[in-house]
Amino acid sequence: MTAAGLVKCVVWDIDNTLLAGTYLESGDEPPGADPVLTAVLAELGGRGILHALASKNPPEAAAHTARVTGWRFSAAECGWGRKSDALTRIAGTLGIALDALAFVDDDPYERAEVGSALPRVLVLSPEEAAEAVGWPEFSPPVITAEARRRGEMYAERQRRQEAERAFGGTREEFLESAGTQVTIAAATTADVPRLAELAVRTRQFNSAAGRAPAARPGEAGPPGGGMTQDWFQGLLTDPGCDVVTVRLRDTFGDDGMVGGCVITRDGRTWTVPLLMMSCRAMGRGVIDALLAWLTRHAARAGAGRLRIPCVPDGRNVPLRLALAAAGFRVPGPPPAAYQRDLGTPLPALPGWVTAPGERGGGTGGGGTA
Amino acid sequence: MNRPGPDASRTGTPGDAGLASVTDDLRAFLTSATGRDELLHLPPGAALFGDAVGLDSLTGTLLLREIQRRFGVDVAGEDLNLDSLATLGTLAAFVAQRARPGAPQ
Repeated sequence: MTAAGLVKCVVWDIDNTLLAGTYLESGDEPPGADPVLTAVLAELGGRGILHALASKNPPEAAAHTARVTGWRFSAAECGWGRKSDALTRIAGTLGIALDALAFVDDDPYERAEVGSALPRVLVLSPEEAAEAVGWPEFSPPVITAEARRRGEMYAERQRRQEAERAFGGTREEFLESAGTQVTIAAATTADVPRLAELAVRTRQFNSAAGRAPAARPGEAGPPGGGMTQDWFQGLLTDPGCDVVTVRLRDTFGDDGMVGGCVITRDGRTWTVPLLMMSCRAMGRGVIDALLAWLTRHAARAGAGRLRIPCVPDGRNVPLRLALAAAGFRVPGPPPAAYQRDLGTPLPALPGWVTAPGERGGGTGGGGTA
Repeated sequence: MNRPGPDASRTGTPGDAGLASVTDDLRAFLTSATGRDELLHLPPGAALFGDAVGLDSLTGTLLLREIQRRFGVDVAGEDLNLDSLATLGTLAAFVAQRARPGAPQ
């Protein structure tokens, strides 16, 4: 399987799953942690997999579980509603697709409810979860610095979202006030592991997702189908090719490398065989900045047209929206590429974007203050 | 897929209540999603991408999800190029023509 098979977040039941007993039926002293599953939490967390809670209990049960397992959960849903609804809310809160969730519960009824309402979620019993550390769904091919910080970054994300809700103005004004800094730069060898990780993990913002395997060398195939570290390394030394990274930070935290793209230059037509961004960066101006910069960069170099092959499907709607917003159109029936004529007026780039060929960092107040 | 149901022809008639109420619903949603109160009076000819509304991948995804929930119309599935998102008016017409009978409140 490709990217779709990787689990990004495990949603755990509490009673008789993470706890060795039932929270509300234990009298004065709530039960301790299940030692086997506590070890599983740590092992998967070290691989960059997030953990969340979904429990039919009062919220204090989540705090107790965090205490006895020593784990900081990225989201917790406590209440008496359906667990499938809890998982849907967790996926929304964390910005993770439902098919990147796994769900662990000792109660066969709950497993059946989630399995039937959300067939894309991987549903496991606690016994299966203990074995799952060896399964490919829980074994990302590369584990980067971004992966190890992922739990922290989701906590920063929650603080940022709360601040944005409290903020009165528009999103653009919020991004500016949060000290958003987007840095676009040429990739180096040190960036290769994270580029390969993004190629495997991204789906909603991955132009190559759903595509048939590469027809010839240098062309991008589907994620996980050849976009390995070796593939990226080879592109770095290819004179007809540019590999670009996108980094993101603000006053709430540093998200590291959240996106990238590959550019091939063929006379007056430039093609982007791969454009990708972590869905964690959604709503923070990153994809729009990258598309605007690509358009300006290609036009400055004398190109007349920019092409971005991308197969429209139900899952890359966010990327399709970004492409449409940036003036890209598919001129014919699929699988034609998105393209943009560079003769039309070029898009502006916000002052908080630093990129090759741009004056950079000027008006946005990001700077070094 | 086309749904030539009885309501499809009725809501498709220019100037009828279906189109007007879809337009109002879209205005209300865009206002709450962007925090821009002036969008409550957005003219039908206003472009959704660009400065007036500033629809992006996040607000756009939320908008399409809300349209699917409220009207049962899968805009992204039926319009691969998303040309229907050109203006408020084109989107409202696209949705009103396809709205599932009984779906809007």
